[in-house]
Parts: sequence; structure tokens; C-alpha cells
Amino acid sequence: MLLIESSMGKAVRRIAIYGKGGIGKSTTSANVTAALSERGLKVMQIGCDPKADSTRLLTNGVKYPSVLETLREKSDVTLGELVHEGYGESLCVECGGPKPGMGCAGRGIIAAFDTLEKLGAIKEYEPDVIIYDVLGDVVCGGFAMPIRNGYAKDVFIVTSGEMMALYAANNIAEAVKGFSIDGYAKLGGLIQNSRNIENENEIIDKAASEIGIDVIARIARDPAVQRCESIGKTVIEGEPDSAQARSYRELADKLLSSSEDISGGMRCD
Amino acid sequence: MKIIHPRPNPIVAAMYTLRDMDVDVIVVHGPAGCCFMASRSIEEAGVRVVTTGITDNDLVFGAVESLIETLRMVKEKFDPKTVAVIGTCASMIIGEDMQAAIRRADIGCTVFSVDCHGCMKDNTSGAIKAIESAAVAGVIPSDEAKRQTEMMHAATELEKRNGMAARDYLSPTRGPTKMGIARKIIETMKNGGSVTAVIIAKKELIYRFADLFLVLDEVKKKVGGKTRFIANIDKDIGLPRIRRYANDVLTEMESKGVKVDEVVGGLDEYAVIGERIKDTVDKTPHDLLIVVGIAHSYPDIPKDAILITDQPRQLANYLNSGYVNSVGEIASHSMVMGTRNIVPLETADTIREMLREYP
Repeated sequence: MLLIESSMGKAVRRIAIYGKGGIGKSTTSANVTAALSERGLKVMQIGCDPKADSTRLLTNGVKYPSVLETLREKSDVTLGELVHEGYGESLCVECGGPKPGMGCAGRGIIAAFDTLEKLGAIKEYEPDVIIYDVLGDVVCGGFAMPIRNGYAKDVFIVTSGEMMALYAANNIAEAVKGFSIDGYAKLGGLIQNSRNIENENEIIDKAASEIGIDVIARIARDPAVQRCESIGKTVIEGEPDSAQARSYRELADKLLSSSEDISGGMRCD
Repeated sequence: MKIIHPRPNPIVAAMYTLRDMDVDVIVVHGPAGCCFMASRSIEEAGVRVVTTGITDNDLVFGAVESLIETLRMVKEKFDPKTVAVIGTCASMIIGEDMQAAIRRADIGCTVFSVDCHGCMKDNTSGAIKAIESAAVAGVIPSDEAKRQTEMMHAATELEKRNGMAARDYLSPTRGPTKMGIARKIIETMKNGGSVTAVIIAKKELIYRFADLFLVLDEVKKKVGGKTRFIANIDKDIGLPRIRRYANDVLTEMESKGVKVDEVVGGLDEYAVIGERIKDTVDKTPHDLLIVVGIAHSYPDIPKDAILITDQPRQLANYLNSGYVNSVGEIASHSMVMGTRNIVPLETADTIREMLREYP
């Protein structure tokens, strides 16, 4: 499945996880990162949210300074200050951003990516997989950045059967399709993060059909997630033999089988 | 250190760098007024500059369509070989994908984008973005791009060490008249003294600063004395346009019987040749030293030297640092844009006027 050696250098799996705020993107992303890391893959997870909490389950709840926070303090930053090691030797990066109501968070994403690119993050760490965990709706050019300009190649959307989550999923899908005419990212599928609402599977299947994509995984609602989060761990690390951990491992497999390797640096060649 | 005087802009630096590469058209992807003054100067130098004229609606909804339309108009009106699209604060903050617009417009010539904006701190960062993008597009060779980038880094360091970025505030000044230094030069030479004149020119400014050599030659012919001319005017260094500047000036000087005694570096090497210039100057004693251009590139310059700069804030910097024989040739830059001939220097004209009083 991995990794195609291209003539232009080592290939990288480039995956973006989008979804409505609070739907479980970061929990899903961190568990996928942990599951892939267990398989011996080098995974870089890049949190694209001003809250800068995408990777905290990989770092035992430790919140390292974000790229933008570090850049604000000093101009001569090094990669070691921006990329932190997490569970399974995963590589954790938080773009960060301004306080609510201040500045421009979208521009922050662009500036953080520019910095990682300028410092040669991909060349230095040579990840097999990059996972972008991106905030909510694609509200502006900055939050669309992971699915444009050749950063991510395969986009997956986390949703529940709730109306607002599906509404956001539809918006994100529309944005990805819009950018696909420029040869950028493509939709890989929906990830159902169940909230146990009535007829949830059917509601999500119907939405997926209308968008024109598949539901690639259904993650059950399980108290194991909350138990592990409360101690700053992924389920993969905290309860590795649980059914929920198996679900996340299966999801990780699905993401790999539904995405493709692309050579290049921070951006696809 | 927080610097509060206005300083050169990365977008404009990128535009000047694109001019040096002889691109046919620069498309400013931003509001109609962005870089308005600089655009006029660059058009004087033979490069078309157009704007996408981003409006409030474009800020909200995106301006890619406006860029595509502008590129197609550029093709229709000018049929260019090379076009550069440069970012501005507005287009870069909203995350405009200029490269996608270029692909979609598909106008059948070399078009590349420069991701720059006004908030990139040093103006040279915009120039470096232009160099990198042009190299990727194959507009300039990669080894020349590397050299150009090194020059830009050196220029940045120089400004931080001794230039306008070395002070938290500099008030612009027009400085004293040129009468005092004109008399000093003529009297030195009339008394049989030797004058070493150094030009450390930043690219096209050579067209104005070269007049110093012409007038010193006139003084020597009329009242005597000795002259020694040193300049960064190597015609085999730099991009073709920059070499052309050197060639134009050397040819005109030669036609007037004036020869540069020592050539030290090219016109884009002003930030890295200070030590070499000083070594060259120190080989032969002189009674008076004149340095015109980027004088602060010259290390440990003696306080009694005459310094001539085109920058009003740089002039304040020199005067505040104890260089009392400093004068300004303000607005020189606008005078040399688009010229192919040496442009009279006010200092030189003052010397010429004063020289009439001498038998």
C-alpha cells in the first residue's frame, strides 16, 4: 500500500481531515496518527486551528507552543521549536493563531505553512504520512489552504448525523470540488463519528449519496474516548485492546487504501 | 529595535527586481492604488504595469476571476513574452491562488506568480521571492538566482548594520547646499591635490552618479590637480539589464575621454564590495576622498570624506554620524528611470557653475 518511490523523491501520503467544529476531528486525527505510527509509519499531524489542540492526545496532554506563537516571539525559529515528538514517534505541529475576535486566523494558516516550507520540514523529517486536521467550515482562503496549492491530496470529512454537521460537510465538499478543477485535492469520503441519533447511518448514507462520496468508516460513540482524553491519551495508547481502538485502526487502514502517495516537499510536485 | 520611519516596500522591491529581469508585464494583484507611484517609475523603464484593481467585493468573494480577466486583457493588448503576477497585502491576506488563476487563464506565454506582500519585514524579502519564482519559471538561470539572493541578503545586513534600518527613527533632510563641498573640491585640485572619487552605485543610479567623474575631469583640465576614479561598474556582472547600464555609462564616459581607473564589482554588488573598495582606495594616498552612492558600504570611512547620497533619510544618518561634508542628491531615482544617458548631478552642476569663476 505504501510507499511508491517516485523518480522525484520519496512519496508522501497527504491527508486532510475536515469537519464541523466539535465533531471530533482532532480525536479522530490523533487516533489515526497513533494507529499509523504503531505500524511503523512516520506520521506528521499538523493542526490547523487557532485553538492549537489537535495533537494534545499524542503528547500526553502537553500543549507545546504553536508555530505562530513561536514566530511571534522570535523571527529566527528552528524546526525543533515547531515540530514536537508525540506518541509512537509521531511528529506534532500546531499552526495556532490569534485569540478569538482578533487578527486573521486564515492568514495565520498560510503564514504557518510558509514557515514550515521555508524551513524544509518535509525534507528534514521525511514523513510517510501528513495529516492536516483543519478547523470547521472552509470559511476563507486561509482555511482552504490545506486543500489548495498542493498541500493535501485526499480530503476526508468527519460528520455525525446532526443537521449542522452535515451542512458543514456539504460546504466542505463543495469547496473541495471547486478547487479540484485546478488539480488540487479530491474528496476521499465521509467518516461517521456517531452521536447515536435516530437513523444516523441512513441519514449519513443519504447525505453521502447526495454529495457523491462513500462513507468509509462508522466510529461508534464509546466512553473509552472520554476516559482516554481525560488522561491526555488517544484510545490507541490508553486502551489499545478495546473495540474502539480496533475501529480507529480499521479507519487508519481505510484512509491509506482510499488515498494516494504523491512525491514532493511540503507541497506535491 | 522598533523602527518607525517609513521604509522601502517588499512589493515594490519585487517589482524592481522583475524589471531587472526584463519581464514584459507586471500584473499587480491588488487594489488599483497599490504601488501606484512605483508603477509609474517602472513603466518609465519600459515595463508595462497593470493592476487587477481588487474591490471590496473581491475581498469578500475572492479575486481569482478578476486576475484571469486581467491576464487575458494583458495578452490581447500587449502580446507579451513574459508576465509576472505579484501579490499585495490584500490578495495575500485572503489567500488568493495566483498560480491557479494563471493556469486557468492559459494565455500562452511565460507567466509566473510572486507570493509577496507588504508585511514581509525587509523589503529585500520581496525581491528574493521574485528571484526564486523567476528561477523556477526559467526566466533567470538558477546560478544567477543564487547570486542575486546572496546580494539581497548582504544588502539587508548592510542596512541593519549601517543604513536606514540601524536607527529607530530618521527624519528626512535635504541637507546643506552643494556650495561648500564644491569649493572644497575645486580648491583641493587647484592647489595640486589629488582627489579619489568612489562610486558605489545601486544599479540604475550609476546614470546620475557617473556625472561626478565627468565634472572632476573638467576641473582637472581647468585648474589642475589629480584624480583617481573607482566604481562598481563591471559590465560583465549581473543580469543583462544591469550589464547594459554599466556598458551605457562606460561608453559615454569613454566618448568624453574619461576612464574609470579601477573597476571593483558590478552594479548589483554594492552591499558586498565595501572592503574591496577600501583596499583599492588605500593603495594610493589622496588629499580628498569623495564617496557617492551607498557610502555606508565602505567600512570605517574617514569623517572628513565627502559623502553624496540620493536618500534623504540616509543623508540624515550620515550627518548625525558626524559626516559633516555630506550632501543629498534627492530624487535621483526618478531622474534615472528609463534613461540610457548620464544625467547631470546637482553637485556636479554646482562645481561647473563655480568653476566659471576660476581663470
